[in-house]
Amino acid sequence: MVTQKIMVRICMGTACFVQGGADLLLYGDFLDSELQQRIEVEGVSCLGCCKEHQRGLRPPYVQIGEQLHAEVDQTKFILLIKEALDA
Amino acid sequence: MLEINNQYTFIKRQVQTEVLKAFFADGFEQKIDAIPFAIIPKERISSRCCIYKERAMVRYRIMAMMGVDIPSEDDELKSLGAFAASQKGRSLQGEPVLTTIPTACSACPKERYFVSAACRQCIARPCLTNCPKTCITFDQGQAEIDEECCIRCGKCMGVCPFGAIVHVPVPCESACPVDAVHKNEHGYVELDKEKCISCGKCAANCPFGAIVERSEMMEIALYLKEEVPTVALIAPSIEGQFPGTLSQISKALLEAGFSAVLEVAQGAETTSYHEAEELLQKKEFMTTSCCPAYTALVDKHLPQLSGHLSTALSPMAYTGQQARQKYPQAKNVFIGPCLAKRSEAAHLAEIDAVMTFSELAALFLAKDIDVREMEECEEEQKQSWTDCRQFALSGGVAACVNRRSDQKELRVHSVDGLDKKTVRVLSSWEKRPIAADLVEVMCCEGGCINGPGVVVKPQIARKFRQDRQ
Repeated sequence: MVTQKIMVRICMGTACFVQGGADLLLYGDFLDSELQQRIEVEGVSCLGCCKEHQRGLRPPYVQIGEQLHAEVDQTKFILLIKEALDA
Repeated sequence: MLEINNQYTFIKRQVQTEVLKAFFADGFEQKIDAIPFAIIPKERISSRCCIYKERAMVRYRIMAMMGVDIPSEDDELKSLGAFAASQKGRSLQGEPVLTTIPTACSACPKERYFVSAACRQCIARPCLTNCPKTCITFDQGQAEIDEECCIRCGKCMGVCPFGAIVHVPVPCESACPVDAVHKNEHGYVELDKEKCISCGKCAANCPFGAIVERSEMMEIALYLKEEVPTVALIAPSIEGQFPGTLSQISKALLEAGFSAVLEVAQGAETTSYHEAEELLQKKEFMTTSCCPAYTALVDKHLPQLSGHLSTALSPMAYTGQQARQKYPQAKNVFIGPCLAKRSEAAHLAEIDAVMTFSELAALFLAKDIDVREMEECEEEQKQSWTDCRQFALSGGVAACVNRRSDQKELRVHSVDGLDKKTVRVLSSWEKRPIAADLVEVMCCEGGCINGPGVVVKPQIARKFRQDRQ
């Protein structure tokens, strides 16, 4: 069975990168290799989320599939990817 | 070491960003007193006792940002606007590089080992048998450590089969390599300026943010706002701190208002040549001199090593001279990961101010500059000093000197990180000199990429660098 890989876009805008987003780029080290094979990771230009800053939300932002997530750290990243793959 | 991504880092960056934003807009002195209220709104769920204390802490962080030495210059009745006016144009260079916010300090109790409820009241009692002072008592089988006679060796913790004994350190005190951090009679933090080598380890490790740098950020922001020609001297460790390449980082600096950018790796080449030559005349080991926390350590604590310290100036000093020649009218701002550089710069006519990468991140955010969107330079030309970007990494300085040395088989020893233990080792070298020609000393483990003013973890910086080892 061939399943479509899920697109994971990590925001590489300066605001995200300096506030913990850089940590996510180590996904090769902290994410299960089995999970890694099922996703396609891309570092992308500023997603613009920080500009339309909603109160209480802060960088780093990650887009998994169509869904946008704020304040993503390594633990949350793993969890979100598992959720997206199970859905 | 305290994990770099934490709530304190985020709030500190938010404070710096908002202050800079207000500064670049008009009416700063009228608006600045509103910033603590904007950052800590009424509806916030406080991470201290209450929002009012949090606001007071934001106020103190803004004062530190303006270069105020808080314990000696605090005036609770003085507004931030008044501080902004009185600090403007005041030269901040020199010590103390670090200042404290006594009211932010949690007054952590003395370092201790203690037996938690996980103690199973076993009958083997290896904690007691292995305690060199026999200072463990038992209350119905439950072990207890007598604080008075405990020498904090930690042996009991190592032998407990249930892992029931925990070590509770005082983060600032244990991080300090020279015992310059202590508590006053009320239990709050104080720095001993005579002993302090400005390494910044205490500030990087305090989870309450009670030790902060006296920043020169507002002075630098003033140069940029008033369009004073200002050269950015970027430390070799800058690569990897921001998304994008070195050339994009340089472009972003020009965008932020700097008039020119020079890589300190250029000056590092001069340092390397000087040290390679100096080595030929040394009978015993010679230590590098580029780390200002280490040179302060020699000055203040290990004068017996001063004869071994290279007389080469630091890469920052040589690059500052080059900048003065090239742009005689401009201000020179060193941008690096280091707090001790501020103390070094105070003695150098060629450096006007120092800022950290972390502060630069706030500047980019305040000016809404996206490094990765900057235009990239066409193929970079390799310079004679390109390899000197390795000064940022442990082992890199020695490698650069070695490459420029005529001596065959240079014996190199690397001191990778200063702590209480390595300071003791260094002090033993007077009697038993180390069998090496060149000793590379880095105060921060792993090199400058692990300095107190960095933005990202060293693993990430290494991943994004061209010269990763």
